[in-house]
Amino acid sequence: MRLLLVEDNRELADWLGKTLRQANYVVDVVHDGEDVEHALAAGDHALIILDLALPRMGGLEVLRMLRARGNAVPVIVLTANASLDGRVKGLNEGADDYLAKPFQIEELEARIRVQLRRANDRTAPVVACGDLVFDTNTRLFSLAGETLGLTPREHAVLEQLMVKAGRTVSKAALSAAIYDFETDADPSTIEIYVHRVRKKLEGSRVQIATLRGLGYLLRHED
Amino acid sequence: MRISSLRLQLLAWVVLPLAGLATINLWTSHRSALATADLVTDRMLLGSARAIAEQVAIVDGVLDATVPPAAIEMFDTGDRDSVYYHVETAGGRLLTGYPDLPEDTRQPSVEAVYRDQALRLLTFSHAVVGAGPDSPITVTVGVTMAGHDAMVKRLWLSAFAQQLALVAIAGIFVLLGLRRGLAPLIRLRDAVRSPRRSDLDPIEVPGAQSEIRPLIDALNAYMERVRAQMAAQRRFIANAAHQLRTPLALLSTQASYALRETVPDARQEALVALQTSSGKLARLAEQLLTLSRAEPGSRRPRADHVDLTEAARHVLETHAPIAIGRNIDLGLEEAGPVPVIGDGTMLREMIVNLVDNALRYTRAGGSVTVKLAATDGEAVLTVDDDGPGIPADERDHVFERFYRIVGSTEEGSGLGLAIVREVVENAGGRVTLGDGATGGLVVEVKLPLA
Repeated sequence: MRLLLVEDNRELADWLGKTLRQANYVVDVVHDGEDVEHALAAGDHALIILDLALPRMGGLEVLRMLRARGNAVPVIVLTANASLDGRVKGLNEGADDYLAKPFQIEELEARIRVQLRRANDRTAPVVACGDLVFDTNTRLFSLAGETLGLTPREHAVLEQLMVKAGRTVSKAALSAAIYDFETDADPSTIEIYVHRVRKKLEGSRVQIATLRGLGYLLRHED
Repeated sequence: MRISSLRLQLLAWVVLPLAGLATINLWTSHRSALATADLVTDRMLLGSARAIAEQVAIVDGVLDATVPPAAIEMFDTGDRDSVYYHVETAGGRLLTGYPDLPEDTRQPSVEAVYRDQALRLLTFSHAVVGAGPDSPITVTVGVTMAGHDAMVKRLWLSAFAQQLALVAIAGIFVLLGLRRGLAPLIRLRDAVRSPRRSDLDPIEVPGAQSEIRPLIDALNAYMERVRAQMAAQRRFIANAAHQLRTPLALLSTQASYALRETVPDARQEALVALQTSSGKLARLAEQLLTLSRAEPGSRRPRADHVDLTEAARHVLETHAPIAIGRNIDLGLEEAGPVPVIGDGTMLREMIVNLVDNALRYTRAGGSVTVKLAATDGEAVLTVDDDGPGIPADERDHVFERFYRIVGSTEEGSGLGLAIVREVVENAGGRVTLGDGATGGLVVEVKLPLA
């Protein structure tokens, strides 16, 4: 899952990014409200974590702009202003959730999971495809009850396919969801990661099918 | 004794002089009552004596004095007065009456004592036709003083009652007037004391007189000042709380990261960063405290003799490790002591903030110079750095609390220059920003020399 973190305090942004990457999220960090638009155009973000006190373009303004353009990406607002008025204002402008600083990272992660579940019309914290199971709480894959060891990139590929289970995911969409800005997004490398994941899924009833010209599809044999 | 009640004071000022005047008035009215009673008694004595004298005639060649009852009865005023009289010939022969009754030698009348009673006496001479050498006869009538005194008392008592009523009525009107006049003051008191007045709204007292209006206006102006000060305090506290939230979120994030990280090096890195963050947070708390102390009225004004050169040297020594660590050339240029008068702790804190800022914004390998001079009766402290400087249009704002320049990547608190300005202005000086020779920032502080 690729997340966009918008926070003007660089240290907090860095460390939040690091911590979320620890949990196998793909995280892009911008420090300025005006950069949000470019960031969203350049990648497929499943969720935005938005600080309200931003230079140049405030968080509320960013939110308003997004919603005015019909962008429905889930937004969790972070702010140092914990007043009721501030919370209501943020939610009214289209925020999906609200977290006041200082917060515990566990709470932020739990709220991210809730928003992602909701965005994918899921209620259960566990997603399954045959005997491949993804626990969104621990953010770990298991195959036939055994934890599946994956590199962050492999994890990102499989998670994306899992979330869209039963639907085709194009190479471009996969690329937009798994690479952050730091990486040169070369679509051809996608094939390498898909190949590696396929190898790790060997022997199970779950497989990644390639549909030429369309992309990839995660499916399981009955 | 001091009377602190306005009511008692005004009552005293009105009633006491009035009572004094009434006393004088009573004394004079007593005298006039006495004079009136004297006059009336004397007239009666004269009438009585005349009536007796007219009845003295030669009857059968003998001088005969018959006292008519009316001459005695006219004194019967119900006061049980005794009337004494005697009638004598010119030769001193007693014709009738009390022989030992003293005679009034002076005109018109006199008070005498007869048979242990005070008497008012009158002697009247009357010529009797055909009485020869016995003429003129003298008639002396005396009456005891009961009727006279009763008359005085009656005359005087009514005057006394009138005066007393006057003073009492005046007192009552003073109290009523005061009650009415003081009512707006009482309402003002109730308005100020009202438990509903937790906010500092202006007080309105309808019907307040022009003398009380300035008091209410002054009170409202005072409350307005207090309210403004409280609002500033509230803003500052809210701002401070706000400013503490992000560093706290950072600490918590770094701690969580370190707890989850299994790679020793990454974990070590997170812990070092955590330590740095907590140091910054401590510095922020310190600055907040300094700023609240620098506020006028929050600290007793001090007049320490401070040598700015000495203070700057001390600050530079403590900051040397940071400068060396970042390879910054930190230097002091001075020409002897620069004495100023002010709060020593705050002045040192001011220099700390200037040097701290300069080091923070100067890139590694740059230079920071602190200069001290005493020119034209002023102490001049300048801190010159190699940093990015401050654009001219931002220079007014950077002294505001928590103000941070847009796009600034350095994690300052936005309090350093606010502290500097607060301290310098408290010490009667001023602070200005300028361009450095190498493109950095020059902060110049001018303070009056001691």
